Amino acid sequence: MSTIAYSQEDRASDLDLIRRLAQGDESALATLYDRYGGVVYSVALRVVKDAGVAEEILQDIFYHLWRHASDYDASRGGLGAWLFVSARNRAIDRLRQRKPPDGPKEEESLPSGFNLESQVAQAELMSRIKSAMDGLPVPQRQALELAYFEGMTHSEISQRTGEPLGTVKTRLRTALQALRQVLNP
Amino acid sequence: MSEHPQIEEMFDEYALGVLEGEEKRSFESHVKGCPECSHKLGEARARVALLALSAPQAHPSPAAKERLMDRVRAYRPPASPARLRAPFWGWGVPLLAAAVIVLAIATVLLVRRNHEMEQRLKDLQGQVVLIQKRETAEMARARTVLEILTSPRTLKVSLVAAPAHPVPQGKAFYNPQKGLLFYAANLPRLPSDRTYQLWLVPAQGKPISAGIFATDEHGNGEVLLPSLPPGITAKAFAVTVEPSGGEPQPTGKKVLIGAVS
Repeated sequence: MSTIAYSQEDRASDLDLIRRLAQGDESALATLYDRYGGVVYSVALRVVKDAGVAEEILQDIFYHLWRHASDYDASRGGLGAWLFVSARNRAIDRLRQRKPPDGPKEEESLPSGFNLESQVAQAELMSRIKSAMDGLPVPQRQALELAYFEGMTHSEISQRTGEPLGTVKTRLRTALQALRQVLNP
Repeated sequence: MSEHPQIEEMFDEYALGVLEGEEKRSFESHVKGCPECSHKLGEARARVALLALSAPQAHPSPAAKERLMDRVRAYRPPASPARLRAPFWGWGVPLLAAAVIVLAIATVLLVRRNHEMEQRLKDLQGQVVLIQKRETAEMARARTVLEILTSPRTLKVSLVAAPAHPVPQGKAFYNPQKGLLFYAANLPRLPSDRTYQLWLVPAQGKPISAGIFATDEHGNGEVLLPSLPPGITAKAFAVTVEPSGGEPQPTGKKVLIGAVS
Protein backbone atom coordinates (compact mmCIF):
# COMPACT_ATOMS: atom_id res chain seq x y z
CA MET A 1 0.00 0.00 0.00
CA SER A 2 1.50 3.34 -0.93
CA THR A 3 1.12 6.55 0.98
CA ILE A 4 0.59 10.01 -0.35
CA ALA A 5 3.81 11.97 -0.49
CA TYR A 6 4.13 15.22 1.39
CA SER A 7 6.98 17.67 1.53
CA GLN A 8 9.56 17.38 4.28
CA GLU A 9 8.25 20.52 5.97
CA ASP A 10 4.76 19.09 6.34
CA ARG A 11 6.05 16.12 8.30
CA ALA A 12 7.64 18.15 11.09
CA SER A 13 5.76 17.41 14.31
CA ASP A 14 3.79 20.10 16.09
CA LEU A 15 6.20 19.74 19.00
CA ASP A 16 9.22 20.55 16.79
CA LEU A 17 7.38 23.44 15.16
CA ILE A 18 6.44 24.95 18.51
CA ARG A 19 10.06 24.73 19.63
CA ARG A 20 11.20 26.44 16.45
CA LEU A 21 8.51 29.11 16.93
CA ALA A 22 9.83 29.83 20.40
CA GLN A 23 13.26 30.39 18.83
CA GLY A 24 11.77 32.93 16.41
CA ASP A 25 11.59 30.73 13.29
CA GLU A 26 8.95 32.32 11.04
CA SER A 27 8.81 29.37 8.66
CA ALA A 28 7.52 27.17 11.51
CA LEU A 29 4.56 29.52 11.88
CA ALA A 30 3.90 29.37 8.15
CA THR A 31 3.83 25.56 8.34
CA LEU A 32 1.41 25.55 11.27
CA TYR A 33 -0.74 28.06 9.41
CA ASP A 34 -0.87 25.77 6.37
CA ARG A 35 -1.67 22.82 8.64
CA TYR A 36 -4.46 24.32 10.75
CA GLY A 37 -5.36 27.72 9.23
CA GLY A 38 -8.05 26.24 6.99
CA VAL A 39 -10.07 24.73 9.83
CA VAL A 40 -9.47 27.73 12.12
CA TYR A 41 -10.79 30.01 9.39
CA SER A 42 -13.72 27.72 8.52
CA VAL A 43 -14.96 27.48 12.11
CA ALA A 44 -14.59 31.24 12.64
CA LEU A 45 -16.46 31.94 9.41
CA ARG A 46 -19.23 29.47 10.32
CA VAL A 47 -19.71 31.35 13.61
CA VAL A 48 -19.38 35.00 12.60
CA LYS A 49 -20.53 34.62 8.95
CA ASP A 50 -18.28 37.50 7.87
CA ALA A 51 -15.12 36.75 5.89
CA GLY A 52 -13.34 39.93 7.08
CA VAL A 53 -13.97 39.21 10.75
CA ALA A 54 -13.06 35.53 10.29
CA GLU A 55 -9.72 36.49 8.73
CA GLU A 56 -9.06 38.86 11.61
CA ILE A 57 -9.67 36.03 14.09
CA LEU A 58 -7.45 33.70 12.08
CA GLN A 59 -4.63 36.24 12.10
CA ASP A 60 -5.02 37.04 15.79
CA ILE A 61 -4.82 33.38 16.77
CA PHE A 62 -1.63 32.70 14.82
CA TYR A 63 -0.08 36.00 15.85
CA HIS A 64 -0.85 35.15 19.46
CA LEU A 65 0.79 31.74 18.98
CA TRP A 66 3.87 33.50 17.56
CA ARG A 67 4.11 35.90 20.47
CA HIS A 68 3.44 33.32 23.17
CA ALA A 69 4.95 30.15 21.71
CA SER A 70 7.27 29.78 24.68
CA ASP A 71 4.26 29.73 27.07
CA TYR A 72 2.63 26.90 25.20
CA ASP A 73 3.46 23.54 26.72
CA ALA A 74 3.42 21.44 23.57
CA SER A 75 4.19 18.23 25.45
CA ARG A 76 0.58 18.38 26.64
CA GLY A 77 -0.35 17.62 23.06
CA GLY A 78 -3.30 18.65 21.01
CA LEU A 79 -2.11 21.87 19.39
CA GLY A 80 -4.65 21.42 16.60
CA ALA A 81 -7.52 20.94 19.04
CA TRP A 82 -6.27 23.90 21.06
CA LEU A 83 -6.29 26.13 17.98
CA PHE A 84 -9.82 24.98 17.12
CA VAL A 85 -11.00 25.79 20.66
CA SER A 86 -9.38 29.24 20.45
CA ALA A 87 -11.02 29.88 17.09
CA ARG A 88 -14.44 28.88 18.36
CA ASN A 89 -14.09 30.88 21.60
CA ARG A 90 -12.86 34.04 19.91
CA ALA A 91 -15.51 33.83 17.20
CA ILE A 92 -18.33 33.32 19.71
CA ASP A 93 -16.96 36.21 21.77
CA ARG A 94 -17.09 38.37 18.65
CA LEU A 95 -20.58 37.14 17.83
CA ARG A 96 -21.79 37.94 21.33
CA GLN A 97 -19.67 41.07 21.75
CA ARG A 98 -17.77 39.74 24.73
CA LYS A 99 -14.22 40.61 25.64
CA PRO A 100 -11.77 38.18 23.99
CA PRO A 101 -9.85 35.93 26.36
CA ASP A 102 -6.10 36.29 26.42
CA GLY A 103 -3.36 33.73 26.59
CA PRO A 104 -3.44 29.96 26.44
CA LYS A 105 -5.12 28.68 29.56
CA GLU A 106 -4.13 25.78 31.71
CA GLU A 107 -7.73 24.67 31.70
CA GLU A 108 -7.55 24.27 27.97
CA SER A 109 -5.13 21.39 28.27
CA LEU A 110 -6.28 18.91 25.66
CA PRO A 111 -4.92 15.41 26.14
CA SER A 112 -5.96 14.33 22.71
CA GLY A 113 -5.39 10.96 21.13
CA PHE A 114 -6.39 12.37 17.76
CA ASN A 115 -3.66 13.05 15.30
CA LEU A 116 -4.38 16.17 13.31
CA GLU A 117 -0.81 16.74 12.19
CA SER A 118 -1.05 15.05 8.82
CA GLN A 119 -3.44 16.35 6.19
CA VAL A 120 -4.60 12.81 5.46
CA ALA A 121 -5.48 12.11 9.10
CA GLN A 122 -7.21 15.49 9.34
CA ALA A 123 -9.27 14.75 6.22
CA GLU A 124 -10.23 11.29 7.50
CA LEU A 125 -11.32 12.65 10.84
CA MET A 126 -13.24 15.39 9.05
CA SER A 127 -15.14 12.84 6.98
CA ARG A 128 -15.92 10.77 10.11
CA ILE A 129 -17.25 13.81 11.95
CA LYS A 130 -19.22 15.02 8.96
CA SER A 131 -20.88 11.69 8.36
CA ALA A 132 -21.66 11.41 12.08
CA MET A 133 -23.33 14.83 11.90
CA ASP A 134 -25.15 13.88 8.70
CA GLY A 135 -26.40 10.74 10.42
CA LEU A 136 -28.03 12.65 13.28
CA PRO A 137 -31.76 13.40 13.19
CA VAL A 138 -32.25 17.05 12.19
CA PRO A 139 -33.40 18.34 15.63
CA GLN A 140 -30.36 16.74 17.35
CA ARG A 141 -28.00 18.16 14.81
CA GLN A 142 -29.59 21.59 15.07
CA ALA A 143 -29.24 21.59 18.86
CA LEU A 144 -25.59 20.57 18.61
CA GLU A 145 -24.89 23.28 16.02
CA LEU A 146 -26.58 25.99 18.09
CA ALA A 147 -24.43 24.96 21.05
CA TYR A 148 -21.16 24.63 19.19
CA PHE A 149 -21.35 27.37 16.58
CA GLU A 150 -23.45 29.91 18.45
CA GLY A 151 -22.30 29.20 21.98
CA MET A 152 -25.82 28.69 23.32
CA THR A 153 -26.63 27.01 26.64
CA HIS A 154 -29.42 24.47 27.20
CA SER A 155 -31.98 27.12 28.05
CA GLU A 156 -30.95 29.43 25.21
CA ILE A 157 -31.41 26.57 22.74
CA SER A 158 -34.79 25.83 24.29
CA GLN A 159 -35.82 29.47 23.83
CA ARG A 160 -34.56 29.60 20.26
CA THR A 161 -36.20 26.35 19.13
CA GLY A 162 -39.33 26.59 21.27
CA GLU A 163 -38.71 23.03 22.54
CA PRO A 164 -39.04 22.17 26.25
CA LEU A 165 -35.76 22.27 28.18
CA GLY A 166 -35.89 18.54 28.93
CA THR A 167 -36.24 17.70 25.24
CA VAL A 168 -33.26 19.89 24.37
CA LYS A 169 -31.12 18.21 27.04
CA THR A 170 -32.04 14.73 25.84
CA ARG A 171 -31.36 15.62 22.23
CA LEU A 172 -27.95 17.07 22.96
CA ARG A 173 -27.03 14.16 25.18
CA THR A 174 -27.97 11.68 22.47
CA ALA A 175 -26.03 13.67 19.87
CA LEU A 176 -22.97 13.77 22.14
CA GLN A 177 -23.25 10.01 22.70
CA ALA A 178 -23.21 9.50 18.94
CA LEU A 179 -20.14 11.71 18.64
CA ARG A 180 -18.38 9.70 21.35
CA GLN A 181 -19.13 6.48 19.53
CA VAL A 182 -17.71 7.76 16.29
CA LEU A 183 -14.57 8.99 18.00
CA ASN A 184 -14.02 5.96 20.25
CA PRO A 185 -14.22 3.07 17.82
CA MET B 1 -15.80 16.11 48.26
CA SER B 2 -18.89 15.97 46.08
CA GLU B 3 -19.68 12.87 44.01
CA HIS B 4 -18.33 12.15 40.55
CA PRO B 5 -20.71 13.23 37.78
CA GLN B 6 -23.12 10.35 37.27
CA ILE B 7 -23.38 10.71 33.52
CA GLU B 8 -20.35 10.52 31.25
CA GLU B 9 -21.90 12.93 28.73
CA MET B 10 -21.76 15.69 31.35
CA PHE B 11 -18.07 16.15 30.56
CA ASP B 12 -18.94 16.74 26.91
CA GLU B 13 -21.84 19.01 27.89
CA TYR B 14 -19.56 21.11 30.04
CA ALA B 15 -16.91 21.25 27.31
CA LEU B 16 -19.60 22.29 24.84
CA GLY B 17 -20.67 25.07 27.20
CA VAL B 18 -24.36 24.15 27.50
CA LEU B 19 -24.47 23.59 31.26
CA GLU B 20 -25.66 26.49 33.39
CA GLY B 21 -26.71 27.45 36.89
CA GLU B 22 -26.41 25.01 39.75
CA GLU B 23 -25.62 22.07 37.46
CA LYS B 24 -22.61 23.95 36.10
CA ARG B 25 -21.41 25.15 39.50
CA SER B 26 -21.51 21.75 41.15
CA PHE B 27 -19.76 20.16 38.17
CA GLU B 28 -17.00 22.76 38.32
CA SER B 29 -16.49 22.51 42.04
CA HIS B 30 -16.16 18.73 41.84
CA VAL B 31 -13.80 18.67 38.86
CA LYS B 32 -11.50 21.25 40.43
CA GLY B 33 -10.62 18.87 43.23
CA CYS B 34 -10.72 15.59 41.29
CA PRO B 35 -7.73 14.72 39.06
CA GLU B 36 -9.56 11.81 37.47
CA CYS B 37 -12.51 13.97 36.40
CA SER B 38 -10.29 16.81 35.32
CA HIS B 39 -8.49 14.39 33.00
CA LYS B 40 -11.84 13.22 31.64
CA LEU B 41 -12.81 16.82 31.06
CA GLY B 42 -9.61 17.36 29.06
CA GLU B 43 -10.54 14.41 26.86
CA ALA B 44 -14.07 15.76 26.42
CA ARG B 45 -12.68 19.17 25.43
CA ALA B 46 -10.45 17.52 22.84
CA ARG B 47 -13.41 15.53 21.54
CA VAL B 48 -15.78 18.51 21.37
CA ALA B 49 -13.02 20.62 19.75
CA LEU B 50 -13.20 18.26 16.77
CA LEU B 51 -16.70 19.54 15.97
CA ALA B 52 -14.75 22.38 14.36
CA LEU B 53 -14.12 19.91 11.54
CA SER B 54 -17.85 19.88 10.77
CA ALA B 55 -17.80 23.54 9.72
CA PRO B 56 -18.22 23.90 5.93
CA GLN B 57 -14.71 24.06 4.50
CA ALA B 58 -13.68 27.59 3.55
CA HIS B 59 -10.36 29.05 2.49
CA PRO B 60 -8.91 32.34 3.68
CA SER B 61 -7.53 34.63 0.98
CA PRO B 62 -3.79 34.19 0.26
CA ALA B 63 -3.39 37.84 1.30
CA ALA B 64 -4.38 36.89 4.87
CA LYS B 65 -1.26 34.76 5.22
CA GLU B 66 0.93 37.52 3.79
CA ARG B 67 -0.51 40.03 6.23
CA LEU B 68 0.10 37.65 9.11
CA MET B 69 3.71 37.07 8.08
CA ASP B 70 4.25 40.84 7.68
CA ARG B 71 2.90 41.36 11.18
CA VAL B 72 5.13 38.59 12.48
CA ARG B 73 8.23 40.10 10.88
CA ALA B 74 7.33 43.54 12.22
CA TYR B 75 7.22 42.24 15.79
CA ARG B 76 10.65 40.61 15.59
CA PRO B 77 12.88 42.61 17.96
CA PRO B 78 15.48 44.51 15.93
CA ALA B 79 19.09 43.41 16.43
CA SER B 80 20.66 45.91 18.80
CA PRO B 81 23.40 47.85 17.00
CA ALA B 82 26.88 47.57 18.45
CA ARG B 83 27.72 50.66 20.32
CA LEU B 84 30.48 52.84 18.90
CA ARG B 85 33.05 53.89 21.37
CA ALA B 86 34.91 57.07 20.46
CA PRO B 87 38.59 56.07 20.41
CA PHE B 88 39.80 59.54 21.11
CA TRP B 89 38.71 63.11 21.26
CA GLY B 90 39.96 65.84 18.98
CA TRP B 91 40.22 66.43 15.24
CA GLY B 92 39.42 62.85 14.34
CA VAL B 93 35.85 63.06 15.68
CA PRO B 94 34.21 65.00 12.79
CA LEU B 95 35.99 62.77 10.27
CA LEU B 96 34.88 59.65 12.09
CA ALA B 97 31.32 60.99 12.34
CA ALA B 98 31.26 61.61 8.59
CA ALA B 99 32.58 58.12 7.92
CA VAL B 100 29.95 56.62 10.21
CA ILE B 101 27.18 58.51 8.42
CA VAL B 102 28.40 57.35 5.00
CA LEU B 103 28.68 53.80 6.28
CA ALA B 104 25.23 53.97 7.86
CA ILE B 105 23.62 55.19 4.64
CA ALA B 106 25.39 52.49 2.66
CA THR B 107 24.27 49.88 5.18
CA VAL B 108 20.66 51.02 5.06
CA LEU B 109 20.68 50.89 1.27
CA LEU B 110 22.23 47.44 1.27
CA VAL B 111 19.85 46.12 3.91
CA ARG B 112 16.89 47.45 1.99
CA ARG B 113 18.14 45.92 -1.25
CA ASN B 114 18.77 42.65 0.53
CA HIS B 115 15.28 42.70 1.98
CA GLU B 116 13.76 43.29 -1.46
CA MET B 117 15.70 40.37 -2.88
CA GLU B 118 14.63 38.15 0.00
CA GLN B 119 11.02 39.14 -0.50
CA ARG B 120 11.17 38.34 -4.21
CA LEU B 121 12.78 35.01 -3.46
CA LYS B 122 10.07 34.22 -0.90
CA ASP B 123 7.29 35.15 -3.34
CA LEU B 124 8.80 32.84 -5.97
CA GLN B 125 9.21 30.02 -3.44
CA GLY B 126 5.62 30.50 -2.38
CA GLN B 127 4.44 30.15 -5.97
CA VAL B 128 6.49 26.98 -6.50
CA VAL B 129 5.09 25.42 -3.29
CA LEU B 130 1.53 26.25 -4.34
CA ILE B 131 1.99 24.62 -7.74
CA GLN B 132 3.62 21.57 -6.17
CA LYS B 133 0.80 21.21 -3.65
CA ARG B 134 -1.87 21.39 -6.33
CA GLU B 135 -0.06 18.78 -8.43
CA THR B 136 0.47 16.48 -5.46
CA ALA B 137 -3.25 16.58 -4.59
CA GLU B 138 -4.30 15.82 -8.17
CA MET B 139 -1.78 13.02 -8.51
CA ALA B 140 -2.85 11.54 -5.20
CA ARG B 141 -6.48 11.47 -6.33
CA ALA B 142 -5.57 9.89 -9.66
CA ARG B 143 -3.43 7.32 -7.88
CA THR B 144 -6.24 6.44 -5.46
CA VAL B 145 -8.60 5.87 -8.39
CA LEU B 146 -6.00 3.60 -10.02
CA GLU B 147 -5.32 1.76 -6.76
CA ILE B 148 -9.00 1.05 -6.24
CA LEU B 149 -9.31 -0.32 -9.75
CA THR B 150 -6.23 -2.55 -9.48
CA SER B 151 -6.11 -3.59 -5.82
CA PRO B 152 -6.90 -7.28 -5.17
CA ARG B 153 -8.72 -6.15 -2.02
CA THR B 154 -11.21 -4.08 -3.99
CA LEU B 155 -14.67 -5.59 -4.24
CA LYS B 156 -16.32 -5.45 -7.64
CA VAL B 157 -20.09 -5.46 -7.46
CA SER B 158 -22.43 -5.40 -10.42
CA LEU B 159 -25.80 -3.81 -9.87
CA VAL B 160 -28.76 -4.66 -12.08
CA ALA B 161 -32.26 -3.31 -12.33
CA ALA B 162 -34.59 -4.69 -9.67
CA PRO B 163 -37.30 -5.27 -12.26
CA ALA B 164 -35.84 -5.13 -15.77
CA HIS B 165 -36.74 -2.17 -17.94
CA PRO B 166 -34.35 -1.00 -20.75
CA VAL B 167 -31.30 -2.30 -18.84
CA PRO B 168 -30.15 0.15 -16.24
CA GLN B 169 -26.98 -1.09 -14.64
CA GLY B 170 -24.30 0.03 -12.22
CA LYS B 171 -20.84 -0.98 -11.16
CA ALA B 172 -19.34 -0.29 -7.75
CA PHE B 173 -15.65 -0.63 -6.94
CA TYR B 174 -15.36 -0.53 -3.20
CA ASN B 175 -12.25 -0.67 -1.09
CA PRO B 176 -13.07 -0.18 2.61
CA GLN B 177 -9.76 1.63 3.23
CA LYS B 178 -9.46 3.67 0.06
CA GLY B 179 -12.96 4.50 -1.04
CA LEU B 180 -15.72 3.93 -3.53
CA LEU B 181 -16.09 4.39 -7.29
CA PHE B 182 -19.50 3.95 -8.86
CA TYR B 183 -20.67 4.11 -12.45
CA ALA B 184 -24.22 3.73 -13.72
CA ALA B 185 -25.61 3.45 -17.24
CA ASN B 186 -29.03 3.49 -18.96
CA LEU B 187 -30.83 5.10 -16.06
CA PRO B 188 -34.13 6.76 -16.99
CA ARG B 189 -34.25 10.55 -16.92
CA LEU B 190 -35.73 11.94 -13.69
CA PRO B 191 -38.05 14.93 -13.17
CA SER B 192 -36.14 18.04 -12.04
CA ASP B 193 -37.24 17.68 -8.41
CA ARG B 194 -35.81 14.14 -8.11
CA THR B 195 -32.27 12.82 -7.92
CA TYR B 196 -30.51 9.46 -7.85
CA GLN B 197 -28.87 8.60 -4.54
CA LEU B 198 -26.28 5.86 -3.98
CA TRP B 199 -26.30 3.87 -0.73
CA LEU B 200 -23.75 1.67 0.92
CA VAL B 201 -25.61 -0.98 2.91
CA PRO B 202 -23.25 -2.01 5.70
CA ALA B 203 -23.07 -5.52 7.16
CA GLN B 204 -24.58 -4.01 10.29
CA GLY B 205 -26.70 -0.90 10.74
CA LYS B 206 -28.58 1.47 8.49
CA PRO B 207 -27.68 2.34 4.89
CA ILE B 208 -25.07 5.10 4.55
CA SER B 209 -25.49 7.72 1.85
CA ALA B 210 -22.64 7.66 -0.64
CA GLY B 211 -23.90 10.77 -2.37
CA ILE B 212 -26.41 11.90 -4.96
CA PHE B 213 -25.71 11.96 -8.68
CA ALA B 214 -27.26 13.14 -11.93
CA THR B 215 -27.29 11.40 -15.28
CA ASP B 216 -26.36 12.66 -18.72
CA GLU B 217 -28.53 12.35 -21.84
CA HIS B 218 -27.52 8.66 -22.21
CA GLY B 219 -28.50 7.88 -18.63
CA ASN B 220 -24.88 7.61 -17.44
CA GLY B 221 -23.90 8.78 -13.96
CA GLU B 222 -21.02 8.38 -11.54
CA VAL B 223 -19.98 8.89 -7.92
CA LEU B 224 -16.23 9.08 -7.36
CA LEU B 225 -14.59 8.91 -3.94
CA PRO B 226 -17.56 10.12 -1.85
CA SER B 227 -16.86 10.95 1.78
CA LEU B 228 -17.53 7.73 3.73
CA PRO B 229 -16.44 6.56 7.17
CA PRO B 230 -13.38 4.36 6.58
CA GLY B 231 -13.33 0.61 7.16
CA ILE B 232 -17.04 -0.11 6.72
CA THR B 233 -17.83 -3.68 5.65
CA ALA B 234 -20.36 -3.47 2.83
CA LYS B 235 -23.18 -5.96 2.40
CA ALA B 236 -24.73 -4.36 -0.66
CA PHE B 237 -25.00 -1.20 -2.74
CA ALA B 238 -28.22 0.34 -3.93
CA VAL B 239 -29.49 3.32 -5.89
CA THR B 240 -32.79 4.96 -5.05
CA VAL B 241 -34.75 7.88 -6.43
CA GLU B 242 -35.03 10.66 -3.83
CA PRO B 243 -36.22 14.26 -3.63
CA SER B 244 -33.49 16.57 -5.01
CA GLY B 245 -30.77 17.22 -2.48
CA GLY B 246 -30.98 13.63 -1.23
CA GLU B 247 -32.22 12.11 2.01
CA PRO B 248 -30.42 10.91 5.16
CA GLN B 249 -32.07 7.49 4.74
CA PRO B 250 -33.55 5.91 1.60
CA THR B 251 -37.23 6.75 1.07
CA GLY B 252 -37.74 6.21 -2.64
CA LYS B 253 -37.92 3.38 -5.13
CA LYS B 254 -34.83 1.15 -5.47
CA VAL B 255 -33.74 1.30 -9.10
CA LEU B 256 -30.49 -0.63 -8.76
CA ILE B 257 -29.33 -3.06 -6.14
CA GLY B 258 -26.30 -5.30 -5.87
CA ALA B 259 -25.18 -7.54 -3.04
CA VAL B 260 -21.52 -8.09 -2.31
CA SER B 261 -20.79 -11.65 -3.36
